[in-house]
Amino acid sequence: MKNNFIKLAGVLLIIGAVASGVLAWLNDATKERIAMNEAMASMDPAILEAVMPGSVMFNEHEDTDLIEKIKSENEKFINLFTAVDASGNELGKVVRTWSTVKGFNGDMELYVGFTPDGQISGATVISHQETEGLGSRVTLPDFTNQFIGRDGTAVIGESDYDAIAGATMSSKSFLSGINNAIAVYAEYVK
Amino acid sequence: MELVSLFITSFLVNNIIFMQFLGVCPFLGVSKKIDTAAGMGIAVIFVIALASVITYIIHHAVLVNLELEYLQTIVFILIIAALVQFVEMFLKKSAPGLYQALGIFLPLITTNCAVLGVAINNIIFEYSFVESLVYSIATSAGFMLAIVLFAGVRDKVDYADLPESLKGSAISLVTAGLMSIAFLGFAGLQL
Amino acid sequence: MNRFEIFKNGITKENPILVQQVGMCATLAITTSLLNGIGMGIAVIAVLTGSNIVISALRKFIPDEVRIPAFIIVIAAFTTMIDLLMHAYTFELYKALGVFIPLIVVNCIILARAEAFASKNSIVDSIIDGLGMGVGYLVAMILLSGIREILGNGTILGFRILPEAYEPMMMAVQPPGAFILLGLLIGVVNYLSRRKKA
Repeated sequence: MKNNFIKLAGVLLIIGAVASGVLAWLNDATKERIAMNEAMASMDPAILEAVMPGSVMFNEHEDTDLIEKIKSENEKFINLFTAVDASGNELGKVVRTWSTVKGFNGDMELYVGFTPDGQISGATVISHQETEGLGSRVTLPDFTNQFIGRDGTAVIGESDYDAIAGATMSSKSFLSGINNAIAVYAEYVK
Repeated sequence: MELVSLFITSFLVNNIIFMQFLGVCPFLGVSKKIDTAAGMGIAVIFVIALASVITYIIHHAVLVNLELEYLQTIVFILIIAALVQFVEMFLKKSAPGLYQALGIFLPLITTNCAVLGVAINNIIFEYSFVESLVYSIATSAGFMLAIVLFAGVRDKVDYADLPESLKGSAISLVTAGLMSIAFLGFAGLQL
Repeated sequence: MNRFEIFKNGITKENPILVQQVGMCATLAITTSLLNGIGMGIAVIAVLTGSNIVISALRKFIPDEVRIPAFIIVIAAFTTMIDLLMHAYTFELYKALGVFIPLIVVNCIILARAEAFASKNSIVDSIIDGLGMGVGYLVAMILLSGIREILGNGTILGFRILPEAYEPMMMAVQPPGAFILLGLLIGVVNYLSRRKKA
């Protein structure tokens, strides 16, 4: 009787062990891709589209030494990304940076995208503290669209863009942010 | 009270059979006798509630800590299978009448999508222990409501004059569909 | 039965959804688009065939008393494999099918085939049976999800079939529509098979 029980339990344990082993291996093999998929899902598609049209993910730039270098030399720089599309093709680079000039209520955070041939593909504000309805309008496409297509290596002068009427400080802050991104791009990335 | 809202939503608005489609197989095959259906319903509530508690604990205390989440499906279904075995043995001794009446449907509770579905949903929706308990009891009560109502309706359907092809599961499904429309009405329930 | 008949059996005479009427939960829930229906059908074919192979290979090794738990472990393992693979490689479909992927393990058809066929037949025959039943399942899924997508959305696989002016029958992609359409589909199948016998 007892022998039989051990045999029965043994068979189940063996099958269970083999199954668990196979699954452990497969789990490991797919871990990275799954993490990537989940990360992609959590990135706001609106931001992806506004900064680099057609992109599905911003991956941190592989050259981490370069990123460290930029961080040590540029105080307001946050991070450098490679924008990829659904097939994994590189669409361009994205700089994440603080503004260098304070807005009405504080600094703002930007993503600025650059195409391979050095043009600005788009820019969005990730966070800010400006007045709702006034300075906050720097987040609107009406304002940010004007930067699309501009030369990503040339700093934009104060007379070369349209500020938001009645929100000069916020506009200047945004300008400083995008110019910082341009400076980083021109010096370290291009 | 959020828990009350969770209860009503899981019981009616997102009724497990008519809205989520979990547990449809036993639902269609269940007896036309209301008391057998009620007995089945109670057995299911018991199994789902107990299964939810056990799988919840095992998941959070064991699987997550050992990073073995990928074993969730195997572990959960084995827990459910074992649980149903115990319920079977228990009923055989203490309620043999019900045991006989339920027949094959009792072991089939193991493969009832509702049981595993609720256990998994507790994890996906990231419920707290109390929330998962409320959710599983409410959901399985919804199951019981559905099969009891259906048993009542099926009785009447038998007297209807139907084309031969529609008899059996076909008309059962259509009937369930009409009941589902009724339950859609709960969607407007603001809690 | 020769091998071709084993295969055909799963599609026609013993079609899991339309004739045997098992494993209906997923059928009703995810058939809102043809792509989902096909995706689920293929996932089921994979799990069913895989578990049939292993269970048939181990049939002399598994003692009768513990066969059901043994089958469950094997089926659950294959289900988890498909779940991991889909999570990694077909993420959109994975999100669309949601909880119904792990629920493949309680799809009665798989346990039923393990018990009725794979545990008693050769590996090759079991593969064919698995494929037959799986394809039968896939066919039923295609029928139901195709109908639901056209009626409820005017599209097939995302391509617009019915003109823009068509008012989609919302009910078709909602729960009641699932029940009613599947019921009618089974009714039609019943009718056709009875005519064949006559």
